[in-house]
Amino acid sequence: MILAIALMSFSATMAIKGSNTVFPVAQLWIEELEEKYPDLQITLEGAGSSTGIAALFNGTADIANTSRWMKESEISKMHEDGSYFIPFVVAYDGIALIVNKELGIDNITTKQLKNIYTGKAKRWSQVDPNLPNKPIIFYTRNTASGTYETFSKKILGDDRMDPRARMVESTQLEMESVSKNPYAIAYVGYGYVNDKVKVLDLNGVTPTLDSILTSEYFLSRPLFMWVDATDGFPNTGDVKKYITFGLSEKGQELVEEAGYVAAYGQ
Amino acid sequence: MVIGLTSRDLKNQTNTVLINIIAFSGIVILVLLTSFIVKESLPALTNVGAELFTSQYWYPTDTNNPEFGMLALLVGSLYITGLTSLFVIPLGYIVAFFLYEYAGEKEIKFIKSGIDLLSGVPSVVIGAFMLVYVSPLFLEVGIYSPENILLAALGLTILSLPYTASLMQEALSSVDRSLKEGALALGSTKFTAGFKVVTRAALSGILNAVILTVNRVIGETMVVLMAAGGAAIIPQSLTDPARPLTAVIASEMGEVAAGSMHYSSLFVAGLILLVISFGMTLIARVIIQRYKHG
Repeated sequence: MILAIALMSFSATMAIKGSNTVFPVAQLWIEELEEKYPDLQITLEGAGSSTGIAALFNGTADIANTSRWMKESEISKMHEDGSYFIPFVVAYDGIALIVNKELGIDNITTKQLKNIYTGKAKRWSQVDPNLPNKPIIFYTRNTASGTYETFSKKILGDDRMDPRARMVESTQLEMESVSKNPYAIAYVGYGYVNDKVKVLDLNGVTPTLDSILTSEYFLSRPLFMWVDATDGFPNTGDVKKYITFGLSEKGQELVEEAGYVAAYGQ
Repeated sequence: MVIGLTSRDLKNQTNTVLINIIAFSGIVILVLLTSFIVKESLPALTNVGAELFTSQYWYPTDTNNPEFGMLALLVGSLYITGLTSLFVIPLGYIVAFFLYEYAGEKEIKFIKSGIDLLSGVPSVVIGAFMLVYVSPLFLEVGIYSPENILLAALGLTILSLPYTASLMQEALSSVDRSLKEGALALGSTKFTAGFKVVTRAALSGILNAVILTVNRVIGETMVVLMAAGGAAIIPQSLTDPARPLTAVIASEMGEVAAGSMHYSSLFVAGLILLVISFGMTLIARVIIQRYKHG
């Protein structure tokens, strides 16, 4: 009896895993959906894009949120397994570069940024002689993060990130550290930015809804939700309900509420 | 009567078998776990080889040129463990010594329940506490690297102090009272009796406590993941960040593709920790034996 209940409630639960960046969007959608369909049970976990894709492969998630496209290794694994995952673009996001409010810098170039993260510039005065001669404390997300993937691909290219980069497990931790530490710099999803930190312009472009959607802002990217369509497109069921809602007018409104740029309806 | 006897025998035998099975299951699990870790780490050990231990560059996800050097991670683990031991062993001994020698009944009760409460605090709470309340203090004194090995070691000290103190107190209490009474009767002070006579007699127990503490500290994950700073470098000063082996396993095991070289090298990290822990336990055994016979 108890087992039956456990099984029933288990089968009725839809699991979503993946990117920390997409997390706030999924959270808002779930809140709204659970009001609409009280029977619907959804669990949400943010542990990095790679974790989401890995969970889709081993069947522990129904939807994988990612803030990056699939890696080559994942695509070839998909071919090997004979599985077929399809992406939905749910929103656009910019990676915002944040520093402490006290630091006298408003704009940074991709070159300066690369120098910081490859360890060539170790002090702020080496970035700009007007800045204080203090060490640069630079934060990065861990390697499971899609934000990390996008950032290192677009800024570092083939170069390695300096090992002195502080790898942290969550975006909140980066925000917390930068808001307290006058000489820290970090990169976070645009949706996480609040007024405790200062957002830098990149190559003279301010990250705004407009500049992100048009990719005029260099560090912009689409956000995805991946669905397993190995046995055909999921025409019915909870996954379909969820995706349909997300791409609806209301769903896209919630994307903007989460601080990102709506992918549709502009 | 005969039936009664056999059913009693049967009961006895079933119980014996059950107890044996449960007792041995621990060993079976240990053997399985070890062979699992060894098996999973073999691909990295054979393919990557010496680079694992000689290179300090940990770039397992580099698509063009992945590198699996664990030197910086291992050194980070050892630094933090050493520093923590430096704090927690004297502190633990002092607490134990006070409880044994000076504390009245009320004080013992008070301190003991404090220790019990502290030992129940989850490591993630201690990690968050260090990060939110202690690390900003570094900024105030002009150290702009607020997550560092000192912060992690302080957190680990809080975490392991109850454990160390209880173990040491047990060691002191297990010494025969007559030794202490004899020393006091010969005119030694309370401090001398405790420090020179009882402590010497309890030395094997205290060393055992030290080794168990070190073992526990080196395997701790959450505090170092949160507070150590997360940079895979060989720290040069107390305020440098580090990324210990346990933190790397916790951070990366969730995303790694099963069967990849990255996956296997994370098991090598686990194997290193296992070997260290095994070695420490072995040393503890030898020390205890030696002191018992000597």
